[in-house]
Amino acid sequence: MVQGLVRLTLLAALLAGCAMQPVQEETQAPVTAEQQLQGSPALSLYEHARQARSQGNNSAAERYLERALTMAPDASWLYRELADLHLSEGDARGAEGFALRALRLAPDNDAYRAGLWELVATARSRQGDEQGARAARDNADRLRQPASA
Amino acid sequence: MAKKAKKSPAKGRRQSSSKKSAPRRWFSWRLVGKLSLVMLVVVAAGMAYLDALVRERFDSHVWQLPARVYARPVELYAGRVLSREDMLKLLDLMRYRHTSSASTPGSYARNGNTLVLDTRGFKDSDGGEPSQRIRLTLSAGHIQSIKASQTGNLARLEPLQIGSIHPQHQEDRVLVRLDQVPPLLVDMLVATEDRSFYEHHGISLRGLSRAMLANIKAGGLVQGGSTLTQQLVKNFWLTSERTLSRKLMEMPMALLLELHYSKQQILEAYLNEVYLGQDGNRAIHGMGLGAQFFFGRPLDELEPHQLATLVALLKGPSWYDPRRHPKRAMERRNTVLKVAVKEGALSEQDYRKYSARPLEVVPRGASALYAFPAFIDLVRRQLARDYPPEVLSREGLHIHSTLDVLAQLASERALHDRLQHIDPKENKHLNGAVVVVSPTEGDVLALVSNRHSRESGFNRALDALRPIGSLAKPAVVLAAMEEPKKYSLATNVEDGPVEVKMPNGSLWAPGNYDKQSLGAMPIVDVLAHSRNQATARLGLDVGLDKVADTMKTLGVQRKIPLYPSILLGSLELTPFEVAMMYQPLATGGFSTRLRSITDVLDKGGKPLARYPVSTEEAVDAGPAFVTQWAMQQVIEEGTGRGARKQLPEELKIAGKTGTSDDFRDAWFAGFSANHLAVVWVGRDDNHNTGLTGATGALPVWTELMAKLPQRSLSQTPPAGVDWVWMDENGRQQSAEGCHGARRIPMLEASIPQDSNGCGTVKDTGKGVVKWFKGLFD
Repeated sequence: MVQGLVRLTLLAALLAGCAMQPVQEETQAPVTAEQQLQGSPALSLYEHARQARSQGNNSAAERYLERALTMAPDASWLYRELADLHLSEGDARGAEGFALRALRLAPDNDAYRAGLWELVATARSRQGDEQGARAARDNADRLRQPASA
Repeated sequence: MAKKAKKSPAKGRRQSSSKKSAPRRWFSWRLVGKLSLVMLVVVAAGMAYLDALVRERFDSHVWQLPARVYARPVELYAGRVLSREDMLKLLDLMRYRHTSSASTPGSYARNGNTLVLDTRGFKDSDGGEPSQRIRLTLSAGHIQSIKASQTGNLARLEPLQIGSIHPQHQEDRVLVRLDQVPPLLVDMLVATEDRSFYEHHGISLRGLSRAMLANIKAGGLVQGGSTLTQQLVKNFWLTSERTLSRKLMEMPMALLLELHYSKQQILEAYLNEVYLGQDGNRAIHGMGLGAQFFFGRPLDELEPHQLATLVALLKGPSWYDPRRHPKRAMERRNTVLKVAVKEGALSEQDYRKYSARPLEVVPRGASALYAFPAFIDLVRRQLARDYPPEVLSREGLHIHSTLDVLAQLASERALHDRLQHIDPKENKHLNGAVVVVSPTEGDVLALVSNRHSRESGFNRALDALRPIGSLAKPAVVLAAMEEPKKYSLATNVEDGPVEVKMPNGSLWAPGNYDKQSLGAMPIVDVLAHSRNQATARLGLDVGLDKVADTMKTLGVQRKIPLYPSILLGSLELTPFEVAMMYQPLATGGFSTRLRSITDVLDKGGKPLARYPVSTEEAVDAGPAFVTQWAMQQVIEEGTGRGARKQLPEELKIAGKTGTSDDFRDAWFAGFSANHLAVVWVGRDDNHNTGLTGATGALPVWTELMAKLPQRSLSQTPPAGVDWVWMDENGRQQSAEGCHGARRIPMLEASIPQDSNGCGTVKDTGKGVVKWFKGLFD
C-alpha cells in the first residue's frame, strides 16, 4: 500500500513536469536507402533498380533488388522497395509479404513503420481483406499519434 | 546423212500404216524429241522442286538449340568472403587461361594477392555484364578491393554453364556468327577441305575427277570429292549414305544453293552444322560447341593448334577423336597445320610452335556440364511445368539457375569425405543427400544426391521419401509456442512413460534413445536433448491436429495422418521437402518458395520469364523467434553440439538431429542466417545403418557449413518477446545468479507474474503493467 502511494506521488510529479514544459517532439532521423545501405555495394544495385523502374523495366529492377538482398539481407528498405514493386505489378499478396518482412527488420522509426503498415493495408485491401487492411491502418495511425500529439 | 535420216521416220510411219507386215523401227526422231521434251519438263520440274526445297529449308532453317543451364554468376565486391583458393578454383572451372597480362577475354594474370581478369561478359534480365578488365585484391579470405573497368566497384563473372536440356538422341550446338569465328579456322577449313571453295559454284570438277580416280583405283567408293557446299547439302537435306542417287541430288542442290546464297552464308551454315562427334546421346554439331566440348572454352578463345584439331575432326569425327585416338588426332592436326602453312595462313615459326604443343583436350568428365546431375534434374523438373519439351530442346533458351558452385562443391566434398570416413570400402552401402538453401531468397544453392556426386540416377535429394524422425520436434515446440498463455520454453514437461491406446487396440508407448526417463524438464531442454517421451506428452497435450496444422503451415504438402507417431517423425519426407519445412524456421516465420531458376532468356539474351523471390508471413514473429532460439540450444548444449568442433563458438546457428527407427535414417537439418542445409544419410535398401543424426548426418552438415561464409542468427527479439530470467520450475521469474535461473526468450503472454523472490526481477513489458497495477494495490 505504501509502495502504491510512493508510485502515485512519482507519477503525479512526472505528469506535473510534463504539464509545465512544452512538449518536446522526439525527432527521429528519417530512414533512407542511403542510411540503410551505406557502405554496401547493395546501394549501387538499389540505385540501378530505381533507374530501371523509372524506365518502366520492372523485371530488371526486381533482379537488381534480389541481387542487393544477397549483399544486405537485413536491409528493411530493400524489402520495402520489393513490396512497392510487387504492388505496382498487381501482386498484392507478394507485396504484403515483403512489407511485413520489411516491418520485421524495420529500425525504430515511427514514420517509417507507419508507412510500411500503410503498404500492408493497401496490399490487404487489394486482396479483398478489408478487416486485415483496417488492422494495418490502425497500426499506422497509432504510430503516427505521438508525433501529432 | 542428216537429211536422209530426217526423212526416214516419216517414211517409216507411212509404211507402217500402209504395210502392216513391215517391221517397226524402234528409233524415231520424233520420239526422241518428245522424250527429250518430257525429260526437260521432268528435269525442270525436279529443279524447281529442288530449288524450292533448298530455299525453303535454308531460309527457314531453325537450328536445334537445347536450353542451356547456367550457375549463379559470382558477384565480386569488396568485403565479400572469397578465398584466393576458391577464386582460382572458379577461374579453373570456367577455363580461364593463366597468362602474364590477361589481355583477352577468358584470361587472368596473378601477382601475389592481386588478380587481373579479363571477363567474357553475359546477358541477364538486368542487362547483364560487359566483357571487362577487373583488378581484384584478395586477402584474409575476403575481397579487399575491386576495380572493374566499366562497372566500378561491383562486377560479376559470367555464369558457368552447368548443363543443357535435351531429350534422347538430340543435336546440340552453340551457334556462332561468321564474324565471331577466328579467320584462321576458316582458312584451315578451306585449305584442307575445299581449296577452290571461293572459285567454284557448288561443284568442283577437279575435285570430283580426283575422287573418281581414287575410287577406280580402290575399286569402290572411298572418296567423295565433295565441296564444302555439297557437304552442307548432305548434312542439311540428305542422308549420309554414299549412293549414286544421293550424289545426283547433291550436285544440283549444291549449284542451287550457290545460286541463291553468298559464300559467307554457306560457310556460316557449314560451321554451325558440321558434325564433330558424339557424347552419349548428344550429337555434337558445329564448331561453337566443338570448342566447348573438346577445350571447354568459347571458339574465339582457341589457339591455332586447337582450331586445327577441330578441322582435323572433319575427316572422321570418330576416327580422329582426340580423346580416344590422341596419336591419330595429333598427326592429322599437324597435317592441317602444315597445309595452313602451305596456303600462307600460318607462318613457319607458328607451325613449329603449335605443332609441338600437346592436344590440350579437356577430359570429358572434367566439364562442368556433367558435374551436377542432381541439380540439373531439379531444374529440368521445374522447367517442365512451364515449357513443353520441344521448346526446351530447340529454342536455345538460357536458363539462369540458383546453383552456387562453391556451395555445391563444398556439399559434395563433405558428403563424400564423411561417408568415406565411416564406410571406406562401401560395404555398409551408405549413401546420402544434401540440400543447401539460402533461406532469405529461397534459392537452392546446392543439391547432392549421391556420395559420388557425378553419378546420375536415383535422385535421393528429391525422391528419397524417408521418415524424418526427430526433425518433426521443432514443429511440436512451435505449435506449443503459439499458445503462449499455456506454454513457454521454460514450461516443464514430464519425460516419462507415455501410453496411447490406438483405435486398433494396440498400444503406442515411445521410449527414449537412452532408454531412460529423465523426469520434468523445460521444453527448451526437451528439444535440445531430443527427448521422445516428453515431446510425445507435449504434442498430445497441444493436440495432434494443431501439430499437423503447424507442419502444414511450415510447408509440408503431404497428407499428415493424425497418429501420435507423427510427433516423433513417422511422417515421411524427402530431403528437399525437409528444406521446405525448415525454411520458415530459419527466417523467423517467413515462408519463401524454393527456386532453382531465377530467369529465362531467349537465345539472343532477351528476357522471357522471371522466377521472382516470393515471401509471406507463415508464422508470427514471437513463436518463430523462441522456437528458433530453442533450436540454437540443440547446438549449444544438446544433440547437435558436435557442430562446435568445427564451427566457431560465437557463430549463432540452429538445427535438429533426426534418427528414424532402427537407425535407418540419419538426418540433420540446420541453419545460420544465410545458409540452411539438410543432410540425410541412409541406405537405399532401408536397412539399419547403425548411425544417428548426430553421428551420421551432423558431421557432413558441420563440414559443409564450415566451408561456407556464415552469418549469425539475430539475437534481437521481435516486439512482444522479452528476455526473462526464469526459475527452473518454469512457473516463476527469477534473476541472474539465482539457483537454476535461465535467461529465456518469452512471449509476453507467457511471462509469469510471480517471482521466486530471488534477486531483482527485471521489468518486462508485463512488469510495467504490473507496476501500474501496483498503484492501486
